[in-house]
Amino acid sequence: MEKFPVMLKIENLHVRVAGKEILKGISLTVKPGEVHAIMGPNGAGKSTLGNVLAGRDGYEVTQGTVEYDGRNLLELEPEQRAAAGVFLAFQYPVEIPGVNNTYFLRAALNAQRKQRGEAELDSMQFLKLVREKLAVLQLKDELLHRAVNEGFSGGEKKRNEIFQMALLEPKLAILDETDSGLDIDALKRVADGVNAMRAPDRAFVVITHYQRLLDYIVPDVVHVLADGCIVESGDKSLAHKLEEHGYAWIAQRQMPGQSRAGAV
Amino acid sequence: MSATLLEEFGTGNAREREESWRYSKTALRALSQQDFVAADAQAVLCVPLRAQFEWPQTAGRRLVFVNGAYSQTHSDVSRLGSALTIDHTANQHLKLTIAAGLEGPVHLVYANVPVAAPSRWQATSEIRLQGGSVQIIEQHIGEAGADVLGTLTSDIAIGGHAVLHVASLSDLPDSVSLYRRTQADVASAAGCDCTHAIVGGRLQRFDIGVALDGAQARFDSHGAFALRGRQHADVHLDVRHVARDTACDIVWRGVADQRSRGIFHGAITVAAGADGADAQLSNKNLLLSPHAEIDTQPVLEIYADEVKAAHGATVGQLDERTLFYLRSRGLPLEDARRLLIGAFCRSVFTGLTEAFLRERIEALLDARVSSEGGGA
Repeated sequence: MEKFPVMLKIENLHVRVAGKEILKGISLTVKPGEVHAIMGPNGAGKSTLGNVLAGRDGYEVTQGTVEYDGRNLLELEPEQRAAAGVFLAFQYPVEIPGVNNTYFLRAALNAQRKQRGEAELDSMQFLKLVREKLAVLQLKDELLHRAVNEGFSGGEKKRNEIFQMALLEPKLAILDETDSGLDIDALKRVADGVNAMRAPDRAFVVITHYQRLLDYIVPDVVHVLADGCIVESGDKSLAHKLEEHGYAWIAQRQMPGQSRAGAV
Repeated sequence: MSATLLEEFGTGNAREREESWRYSKTALRALSQQDFVAADAQAVLCVPLRAQFEWPQTAGRRLVFVNGAYSQTHSDVSRLGSALTIDHTANQHLKLTIAAGLEGPVHLVYANVPVAAPSRWQATSEIRLQGGSVQIIEQHIGEAGADVLGTLTSDIAIGGHAVLHVASLSDLPDSVSLYRRTQADVASAAGCDCTHAIVGGRLQRFDIGVALDGAQARFDSHGAFALRGRQHADVHLDVRHVARDTACDIVWRGVADQRSRGIFHGAITVAAGADGADAQLSNKNLLLSPHAEIDTQPVLEIYADEVKAAHGATVGQLDERTLFYLRSRGLPLEDARRLLIGAFCRSVFTGLTEAFLRERIEALLDARVSSEGGGA
């Protein structure tokens, strides 16, 4: 099968949430194998971007296009996007009392496989896969026997997201502030889990507020999102500049009439 | 014969009757307009109906009632032993006397079998638990066809330090209506621990009255109803803390889809002098359709001084964020809904120690919340 050189192509994307325009014309191209970091201050629209790519209700696309693997991503249901290989690691993973974690994961994986026309895994095959992935993330298998995220610590929830990602093996993984609320050890473990999954045919969009995560998950491209627009793109050194100068620096650079060169 | 069923079923004066049946009055009135003949107590149960109750775990411990009457043919009590005395000599009346030492469950099956015309049966039961810990399984099933209206009045007395576990599974076709009225008196340091699952039926009304008469008596009631179509279920609990240091824990869940209607009324009264009482009530409901309705009413009346009491009732919809989370992992909307509804109901049955009972109850509820015929 012919490979698309571009995995994700966002063009001039405008998104409205509850009547308010949050994304104001974003363009972004992600190729297989790349890691893109989206940085920006609170309220810039980072999570909106993650949610709209995963297909959450209530996010109204008023302009622009999103192409994924040569298809119009925006016309797919969330579950179809998942089956097509899109994965969103939630900033706030949802607790689901009464739904066993293992049961949920197997149901999810098999639902995806079914949609792709692949054979479903029986419980033995599934367990084998689970054990492989658990080892990578150093997760306690006790978490598997509990209800989805119920009573998990912040770090456990985030690692559970990465564990789900490892199990579902998406082509495009969007990590929405997966680093928030993590101590340095948990952060390293999450980053290890992500790095273990880096592959030539897989891309990552890493949404973060802080540069710290990007010391461990080294991005190919860094974008700065401010007030619904990408205001700056560059290599990983951009993240360090941001850390040094703060987001106010970006705000300045955005100001009309200001000399771009003068700000550096 | 309009209004006669309300007169027959209601207790207290006219106003109290009206109040107690206010949400089910219309359903009852519709039933009242039918002319009922006596149900056929000799009816033979068809194989699919028998398959619903012939569980390996209760073989030799089963009493079967056909349209309210004890059926020698279908019952098998060979393994129940001498700790249990069964008296069913009176027509449509059962008396179970249980001494300490009865092992294994007692399975009571009430089968509804229609005749050509709408039919009625009425039965009563008396359960006397003198000691020990006993599991009673009460199952209500039915064959589809003409309307059947059954009335079962149960009177339970639990002696000091004895514990009665009741699991009731009511799975009725939409042509069957059932009115169950249970009164349980719990003596000192005794317990009544009930689990209920209600699905189907044209009108299912379930009144549970409990008197915690002895010090340290305890009542637990965990239950769920799952309704769809035009099904109608109405659950009324009336718990009275009479003695000191008594406790009750009531946890119910309700699910209503399509045009169904569910009612939960949970009343707890702590009488003067019943100090040290601990009364807990939680009722949560899921509305799955704009045409479904659930009415919930917790009522707490406290006349004692030292009481620990909490109650809460909610009616909500499936959480959008949770649905999105499941779908973002690849589960189709219908599967995600079913998973959440099942989990919502199951949460009240986690305390059930007999795995086979828990599995049967879960299967019963899961079958009723499955997507087939379930409107979005």
